[in-house]
Amino acid sequence: VAKTSLTSPPWPEMPKLPDPVEEAKYHAEVVQKVNGMISAGQYGRLFAVVHFASKQWKITSEDLIMMDNVLEAECGDRIRLEKVLLVGADDFTLIGRPLLGKDLVRVEATVIEKTESWPKINMRFWKRHNYQRKKIITNPQTILRINTIEIYPSLS
Amino acid sequence: MVVLSAARWLRSRLTDRFWRVQEVLKYARHFRGRKNRCYKLAVRSVRRAFVRSTKARREKKRFLRALWITRIEAASLEHGLKYPAFISYLVKSQVELNRKVLADLAIYEPKTFKSLAALAHRRRQEGFLAALGDGKEPEGIFSRIVRHHY
Repeated sequence: VAKTSLTSPPWPEMPKLPDPVEEAKYHAEVVQKVNGMISAGQYGRLFAVVHFASKQWKITSEDLIMMDNVLEAECGDRIRLEKVLLVGADDFTLIGRPLLGKDLVRVEATVIEKTESWPKINMRFWKRHNYQRKKIITNPQTILRINTIEIYPSLS
Repeated sequence: MVVLSAARWLRSRLTDRFWRVQEVLKYARHFRGRKNRCYKLAVRSVRRAFVRSTKARREKKRFLRALWITRIEAASLEHGLKYPAFISYLVKSQVELNRKVLADLAIYEPKTFKSLAALAHRRRQEGFLAALGDGKEPEGIFSRIVRHHY
């Protein structure tokens, strides 16, 4: 029979997924390998994506973070950042759905500085109405230094 | 002597006019033309500059979001996925990364971005199978919803 435009459906052919049993074996192998790599310490620098102060940050060890709000912690306090979304090294990444467990990752940070921002000028002006308002805003800021990111081989 | 009014030599004079003018001119020193020197022209320019900077602070957020979306689109097209498909299937697989972080990963961590694209692609295939296969095949692995207790 000749092929017309309506012989086959407009979407491409059905995608074929690999066999679930084989897939499960492959997944278990991968998990074991990654666990082995973590416990053997065969990773270089780790980076993590952390949700903190209603923002997401991509951080590594020894880097500075500045947030535009007040943190109720004194300068020099060590803080543990929970809510880790992603941890990665050179050869593997651990993606959380949406968060990773607290027994898997540990991110430590220290509060370094609590200052105000540079004086930002907020001005409103309507022309021909003799209306102008000028306000100088200084937001409080906190600076954290990320000390370490550690992972533990507790995958399953 | 009894004085009922101030003597005529005590006048109220403005003595710091120079500094009041400098307060405005210091914000205009990098402007072009006479508005960086002459007070009357500088006042108008500085006022417009302040108003424009306040409005720009609100537009910067929109502009940056559009920039991140462009970058993520470019990176996902390199891996064979379009931006709407990539974002929607990432969200369906319960990965809550925002566009800023995705753009940073696309620039600085290409291997991680490739794995995220592969995850979205696999979830997409499972979605198609679930829609077209009519329940004869088992449910996909990556379509399972994970419920955590932290």
